[in-house]
Amino acid sequence: MSTALSALALAAVAAVALALFSRRALLLVRLVRMGAPLQRFDDLPKRARNEAVVVLAQSKLLRKLVPGLMHAFIFWGFVVLMPTIVLAAIYVVDREPGLPAKSPLAWLERQGWFALLVDLFCVLVLIGIATAFWIRKVQRPKRFRGSHLGEADLILGLITGIVSTLLVWHGSQIALGFNEWPADWSPVSNTLSGLLGDGQATEVLERAFVWGHVLIILSFLVYLPYSKHLHIATAGPNVFFGRTRAPGQLEPLRFEGTDDELRFGAGTVEDMTWKGILDTMSCTECGRCQDVCPAYATGKKLSPKLLIMDLRDHVFAEGPKVLADASFDPSPLVPNAVTDEVVWDCVTCGACVQECPVAIEHVDHIVDLRRHLVMVESRFPAESEPMLRDIERSSNPWGKPQGERAAWADGLGVRILEPGDEPPAVLYWVGCAASFDERARQSAESTVKLLLAAGLDVGILGPRESCTGDPARRMGNEYVFQSFAEQNVATLNESGVTKIVASCPHCFNTLANEYPDFGGRYEVVHHTELLAELVRDGRLAPAASGDSITYHDSCYLARHNDVVSAPRELVAAVGQPVEMERSGKRTFCCGAGGAHMWMEERGSAINEERVREAAETGAATLAVACPFCTIMLDDGVRQTGRDLRVVDVSTLLVEALERE
Amino acid sequence: MVEREPGGVDELSLQALALARTLAQGASIEALAVTPPSDTVSQGVAATLGEHGVSTLHVAEHAVFGSYAPTAVAQAAVELAERLQPAAIVGAGTERGNEVLAHIAARLDLPLAANCIAAASGDPARVTRLRWGGSLLEEADVHGAPTLLTVAPHLVTAERAPAGEAAVEHFAPTLSEADQLVRVTDRAEDDTAGGVSLADAKVVVSSGRGAGSPEGFGIIEELADLLGGAVGCSRAVTMAGWRPHTDQVGQTGTKIAPDIYIACGISGATQHMAGCKGAKTILAVNTDPQAPILASADYAVIGDLHEVVPAISAELRKARQT
Repeated sequence: MSTALSALALAAVAAVALALFSRRALLLVRLVRMGAPLQRFDDLPKRARNEAVVVLAQSKLLRKLVPGLMHAFIFWGFVVLMPTIVLAAIYVVDREPGLPAKSPLAWLERQGWFALLVDLFCVLVLIGIATAFWIRKVQRPKRFRGSHLGEADLILGLITGIVSTLLVWHGSQIALGFNEWPADWSPVSNTLSGLLGDGQATEVLERAFVWGHVLIILSFLVYLPYSKHLHIATAGPNVFFGRTRAPGQLEPLRFEGTDDELRFGAGTVEDMTWKGILDTMSCTECGRCQDVCPAYATGKKLSPKLLIMDLRDHVFAEGPKVLADASFDPSPLVPNAVTDEVVWDCVTCGACVQECPVAIEHVDHIVDLRRHLVMVESRFPAESEPMLRDIERSSNPWGKPQGERAAWADGLGVRILEPGDEPPAVLYWVGCAASFDERARQSAESTVKLLLAAGLDVGILGPRESCTGDPARRMGNEYVFQSFAEQNVATLNESGVTKIVASCPHCFNTLANEYPDFGGRYEVVHHTELLAELVRDGRLAPAASGDSITYHDSCYLARHNDVVSAPRELVAAVGQPVEMERSGKRTFCCGAGGAHMWMEERGSAINEERVREAAETGAATLAVACPFCTIMLDDGVRQTGRDLRVVDVSTLLVEALERE
Repeated sequence: MVEREPGGVDELSLQALALARTLAQGASIEALAVTPPSDTVSQGVAATLGEHGVSTLHVAEHAVFGSYAPTAVAQAAVELAERLQPAAIVGAGTERGNEVLAHIAARLDLPLAANCIAAASGDPARVTRLRWGGSLLEEADVHGAPTLLTVAPHLVTAERAPAGEAAVEHFAPTLSEADQLVRVTDRAEDDTAGGVSLADAKVVVSSGRGAGSPEGFGIIEELADLLGGAVGCSRAVTMAGWRPHTDQVGQTGTKIAPDIYIACGISGATQHMAGCKGAKTILAVNTDPQAPILASADYAVIGDLHEVVPAISAELRKARQT
């Protein structure tokens, strides 16, 4: 084929491929631009860092070593092989084009190190592909349940084609002596060239394989935007535009403004944020989220992976219609894209978000769906209604008399702050559970005893403390949450509070991360952090016992707020720590988060699953640092009949101080 | 807005009239009642209303009033209000009264103060009303004319204020098809309700995991039967699949308010106690003297429910035989 004819053929094929690609890509861009506004252009240094760590260094993927390396080989391989695609497109036209000597491509092509890199990564990609097939065909992990498996095979096959045609083409170029190839630096291609020889057949092979290489790349390009493999284009931006807020900090809704500005969660595809739509296009169905989801693990309907896939199907089914026809009335996301059950199964533990290698924000989307259901349709599990009403009516989720909020503190000598009182050095934010629940109260008593014993000036708000609004917010009732946030911030600011210690991780998260959005800025610490500091400073001197203690991390403490070491310091100071398999930031929920304390559980119980894991450590004591975990796990111990004592770290510390 | 019952005027409407009089401060009070043309408003009704201070009873006649039709009643009231230009429209704070007044408020684009227990005229009118199911009293200003309010049941005393029999005037309101869309067309009896419902029961006997098994509830059911009460259970029992969720007493189950609540082998988790705080008397049977429920119980037996409950049943039987 003459050079001109080859150029014409390439131009024709490339034009068709690019046209098909662009048509689809344009639709994808328009779909994302259709999304509701969301500020994600701030925090640029942090975004750049996320891009470097999560995308370039593959940090999240490498948490699973073998699949991580497999992916890293293929990903880095493609980065290295990018220039060879351009070179192949030129060589398709002319096998010896004689590139302008000063052009960067000609320079790069002559570099031995580049030839070595290309050869090396071709092999690494092939190893990666082989590993991927092994994982998918032999190992078959559960995380792939519900993913498009055939599609994955096709994509792996295409990548194999791209890389193997490249190697054979390079080999034949070396065999035929084209283009001053740095053959000494190309061990694999050079070996292939020896096998091929410089005969007539190799000349045909050289043409066939360079064309094969280019044609597979072009067909891949056309297929890409229709497939789950789209992530190679979307994952980069999706990570860049990912959340930079604290993991436990939800986006506040606005309740004032014109109709166009107001958004009460996500009712239809039109209400989804642009990042939400980009999320659905970034999912590659790897199932790392599904693997860690406590709801999925206990047989609930929710799988975070299927949630995103179902939303994606819905975006592609209805998004184009919305774009094409302004009068099109999109259907409700619930139950058309995902069912009510799926929306309410989530405990907002955030394990899925933490694992996702492409920065998908499952929990935010769940909360957005809940917001619409609760605030627009008044549709939520009936059994949770008393909780919402009790928060509004009695300022606590159990409907206890607010006047009894400080009853637990009788005789302990802690200051109950009246309006106008001198602000304390540290305000102890007790939280509803520790104020009212018989089992959780012990942690409040212990905490106060310890802080007073260490000589701290500590006070509580007593009946002026209200629910922070966290359960309402996680239920989707943003309106109730914000009214409580404003009320509590006003109380705290009027009282001149600057430093807060909270024993409830849910209160802690709300006070530290969410109240700044409502004008409340305080130094907020968890009781385990403050107590660990007092132990470190020698102001509290516990004596460790020989009892083995396993510590259960609360999601809102460890995962959402990175408080992992302080409670462990305390456990080590009072007994013999033994870790559960799922611990630290990769902890497993107790089952109470996301307002699930006030919902009935379907299927097997999350708390029982966690208690089983704790009991397997052989520890006699299950230490916790959260009143919700206390209640849930204590219930779990009763339900499973295990011999475990569930107790707050602060109480263990009190006991260790009394021990001589 | 007058609601009638067989043989006269509904007591709650008379209570509403008492509050309307404090609002009227001597000005005339006129009433609206609705009826299908096939029926008549008895003289007794006009007489009763007259005794409670009504000068004129307006009777709206229309076929749709043969059954309850809230939007149609509201439209009739709006039509009458346009004619009379009243300072206030008052109804009883019944389910129906609140619904009809809400429709009137929507049609006039005015605020409605529901469940008031006191009111003073003025611009704005000042009312005291119930919030949160009666746990809170709120002083509120109601702007706009006419003032729309409903009167909380049984908190205002109906009083006679003889003013002679009320004059009766009939009128046929103009009702569009849309006004008549919402109406009762059929009634069906709830045939699922058998025995005593947990929410309304005067006696509730319940148990938790302490019952040991689904069969362990036999002695609980027996005691409940003897006392004519209902059987309840804790969340743990529902979680274990021993009893249906409809039997669950608690914040996420049924909230109960019996005269006596007998909780056997129930520790008294906060979520459970939130469901039975309406109980007048709580008797706890528990092996654990430290169980949280003992803090809320009026009486307690420290002992195994499998011994205590059959013993109570036996004593009850013995007492009834003699």
